[in-house]
Amino acid sequence: MTSSPNANTAPDTSSSPGATPASAIARPVEARHIVKRFGDLEVLRDVSLQVDEGSVTSIIGASGSGKSTLLRCLNLLERPVQGELTIADEAILFDRNRQGDIIGLDRRQLQRLRARVSMVFQQFNLWPHFTVLGNITEAPMRVQKLSRKHAIRRADHYLERVGMADKRDSYPAFLSGGQQQRVAIARALAMEPRVLLFDEPTSALDPERVSEVLSVIRSLADEGRTMVMVTHEMAFAREVSDQVVFLDQGVVGVAGTPQEVFDNSPNERCRRFVSPAA
Amino acid sequence: MEFSWLSDPFYQSYLLEGFINTLLLVIVSAAGGLALAITLALARLKGPRPLAWCIHGFTTVMRGTPLLVQLFFFYYGVGRLLEGIPGIQESLIWPVLRDPFFYGALTFILSVGAYSGEVIRGALISVPPGEREAGRAFGMSPTQVFFRLWLPRAIQLCLPTLTGEMILLLKSIPLVSTIAMMDLLQAANIIRDEMFLVYEPLMLIAGIYLAMTVVLTLVLRQVEQRFPGMRPTRGRRLIPGRA
Repeated sequence: MTSSPNANTAPDTSSSPGATPASAIARPVEARHIVKRFGDLEVLRDVSLQVDEGSVTSIIGASGSGKSTLLRCLNLLERPVQGELTIADEAILFDRNRQGDIIGLDRRQLQRLRARVSMVFQQFNLWPHFTVLGNITEAPMRVQKLSRKHAIRRADHYLERVGMADKRDSYPAFLSGGQQQRVAIARALAMEPRVLLFDEPTSALDPERVSEVLSVIRSLADEGRTMVMVTHEMAFAREVSDQVVFLDQGVVGVAGTPQEVFDNSPNERCRRFVSPAA
Repeated sequence: MEFSWLSDPFYQSYLLEGFINTLLLVIVSAAGGLALAITLALARLKGPRPLAWCIHGFTTVMRGTPLLVQLFFFYYGVGRLLEGIPGIQESLIWPVLRDPFFYGALTFILSVGAYSGEVIRGALISVPPGEREAGRAFGMSPTQVFFRLWLPRAIQLCLPTLTGEMILLLKSIPLVSTIAMMDLLQAANIIRDEMFLVYEPLMLIAGIYLAMTVVLTLVLRQVEQRFPGMRPTRGRRLIPGRA
């Protein structure tokens, strides 16, 4: 699929995703010293991550390295135990106990921030009782309080963008995995978020469906959208990323440009992970 | 066969009253019972532990004792206790508390709440958690996630079972004839006594119940078909005629 020249121009650009941040140092995502534990299991041990406006960051690593957990911390589907998080120029206000451990957060801020950081899931997680159109208008109408008319206009725009306009009145169960994932991407785009998060967007797809989803993601990268992606598609990560982060047992093994991570990483485990044959 | 009583306006009014009472009692019990069932199911899944235990106990008792015993318990037991409260017979709610309809509705609401609560709880559990997570990830509030995403999907999953529960409720209604409420069975019994008939009035109300069940089933089937998105596992294309 090719992206049309005006693909980035939504009919209603109240907050364009490529807008310049108010402050020069502000970043769409800045995570510092994130620690996450599930019971006794320490999944993330002091992970820091910076994402620049308009850049694509890929998080790679073995199963259990904490990739998905890190991504899920970025929209607080998982609440870190320690650390600081700035999302869309706003520092998250955590409630902490006397040891400095995070024990809670402000619900209203949470809902506000989540509306600016949209997520695409491995299992798509479309809502089966809504049509494709209903899936896409739901959050803009309920969370951003858009009028139905406005939300439908937006939904149609982004459905067109992912090449699913002809399926707008279908129910998710009637679509292939690749089609469902493209609808899920349109659903994320319809929030007009500052940051798009992708959690292994192609891992649940049949091999022949992977490319249709990757080409949509590639075209979004070409538009200059800020994206953070957990992926096992190494060639794709290398091709589209500005920054690659190799997570290893809950810490950042290497972070840098694709060349730095894939070609001549100083980290032995990273070298073995990206080219196991060598 | 003796059906001459059908044209007697006196008996017609009994039957009409019985029919209206039966219908009202079904509607009130179904609405109240399902609301209670949803509340109980949610509280048992998400509420604090002690509350969940209490609901578990309530459900066990309601499902483990005969409906007729419960009806007698509320009407004769609780009803008589209330009677003894000083001043209550002069209060404005006394006409309600004196009415067998109140005790019938109370019993059926609690019963439907217990049975359907378990059905709905099971359905809530079987909605894939990712669907709720997607709602949260887009900034929907817990209330929005519950009423827009979680509950509709659960109802969709258990609607055929709930239809069965509602039919059982409908057919439990004649029990209230034992607490002096004028329902269809009570009307039929009066006619049987006064006309010295055994079968004919019973055949009539059996026919009316059958008709009501058919109507209820048709209505609920319409509701089921309002959910065309209900298909097997996601990610699998549905081949028409080969579900």
